[in-house]
Amino acid sequence: MEIHPSLNKYMDCYYDFLGQWDSPSRCGLKIIKRKDGKTLAIATEIYRLNPGTPVTEWCAPLATQIMKEQNCTPGRFIFVEHTPDMGSKLDFYDETFDLVSFQVADGKLTNPQWKRLSTAEVDDLMAG
Amino acid sequence: MKFKLIYPRWEKLEGQTIFNLPPHGPVVMAADLPDDVEVDFTDENVEALVIDDSPDFVGISMMLTTQVRRGWEIAGQYRKLGKKVIFGGISTMLHAEETMQYADSVFLGEVEGRLSQVFKDFHDNNLKKVYNFMNKPPEMNLIGPARRDILKKDLYYHKGFRMVDLFHASRGCIYDCYPCAVRYLGGRGFRPRPIDRVVEELAQMDNNRLFIVDNSLALDTQWEKELFKAMIPLKKKWVSHTIEDKDEVLDLAAQAGAWYVYQAVFDTSDYIRNRIKQYHDYGIAVEGTILLGLDNQTEDDIKRLIDFLLEIDLDLAEFTVLAPFPHTKAYSDLIKQGRIFDTDWNHYNAGKVVYHPKHMSAERLAELYQYAWDTFYKDEPQTMKMFNLINRVVSREIADGTFTPRRRDIADLSFGKKVPKVA
Repeated sequence: MEIHPSLNKYMDCYYDFLGQWDSPSRCGLKIIKRKDGKTLAIATEIYRLNPGTPVTEWCAPLATQIMKEQNCTPGRFIFVEHTPDMGSKLDFYDETFDLVSFQVADGKLTNPQWKRLSTAEVDDLMAG
Repeated sequence: MKFKLIYPRWEKLEGQTIFNLPPHGPVVMAADLPDDVEVDFTDENVEALVIDDSPDFVGISMMLTTQVRRGWEIAGQYRKLGKKVIFGGISTMLHAEETMQYADSVFLGEVEGRLSQVFKDFHDNNLKKVYNFMNKPPEMNLIGPARRDILKKDLYYHKGFRMVDLFHASRGCIYDCYPCAVRYLGGRGFRPRPIDRVVEELAQMDNNRLFIVDNSLALDTQWEKELFKAMIPLKKKWVSHTIEDKDEVLDLAAQAGAWYVYQAVFDTSDYIRNRIKQYHDYGIAVEGTILLGLDNQTEDDIKRLIDFLLEIDLDLAEFTVLAPFPHTKAYSDLIKQGRIFDTDWNHYNAGKVVYHPKHMSAERLAELYQYAWDTFYKDEPQTMKMFNLINRVVSREIADGTFTPRRRDIADLSFGKKVPKVA
């Protein structure tokens, strides 16, 4: 599987999912099983390489799907959204990380809330 | 079978010159209607909507976010009368989940080759709640000439002058621009129409002045050059978004009738300065589109940008404030940061501030937006600059024999409404 060279540190593979209105969609994904038993998922928005729904717009269903595939529970699941540096002059295409917290309803993650993280904070999360 | 197709009205920007252009979505949609469907079209921006008629089926076509609340209201009135209502168009796609609450059916995606099934389902009393064709674009050669015969053309004249007709030569876009939803609406690929189909449609149009509404013509050099070459004999005069900055492309564009282009002016760089000059060198005028309120703009940046606009000899300028439309990166970012404070879709008109800007208050951004309009048009009003642009195209039309004189029989009407007669 092709991996964008600039994204290697925070993604191990592309992840295909059905987004809004069943649109075939794709993001980058890195899964880390931490020593404390928690699972960290980093979902990367890959812009032009994603034919469908952006990660932010499908955050809760996407996180739910990944959590279930990892046989994880909401209390032991950490979800981080990543937008890579696109090398644009415009700073809204700089690299960002957001820790996403959810409410839980019928086993599904809902109502996402985002909290901006520094790169160092993400690296700490990855180190577990 | 009588199908009533409605284009809801929206509130125009305060203080701006009002021009009502014939809508594009409804005429493109109408081209795919089955032959046995008799369509009655109402553009509520230029005529009153009559609700107490008796269509068999009602369609509401919406392009702008500022149309959706009015569209939902109209649907409610027809549904009270027992009529089935289907929604389609760009802003139906942007606001699909909300719109479903007010609709018997919503159509998502592009219509070509698909409406026969919708009307069969209606006829069989089996209308689906959603026709989901998102990310399933039709073959481009299925896009036939739009049904401009459904328009009441006299309503799109201003004091006897005919407005441009809208036309498209491609769909989709490869870019991910911050405030734009075309990626969501039309897909991430650039999908040009076959040149012969484009020419077929252009040749049928009785209006010599066009607005080519494609997101950008600058996405495929070879296609762009072939398009312009094919357009030269048609002698149309047209407005469009960006054209590629290669000399051979601009030269062909000018020969094909490029009148003026919309060019985003996002900074005060030499790149922008040279881009404007390059268009002018080929006789193509430029309307700068200036988006205010981005996170990289301070008050000083905005003032510097406005000073710059006065230096670079723009023919027109249009100022907007960032409107975070759903399914844009702007919307995602502002939602993530909890900065959107106004969720009334009627306010998403790119003239009102609905979010907290990064470097100033919402009130200050609104003041700077007004300052931008006032400053740019201080020495020469917008109507005068527009008049100059029209004079340029008239001169070219007289020179190549395509000029159509102003209609004196409707010189006292502006978009269907009485105004003082022009001498």
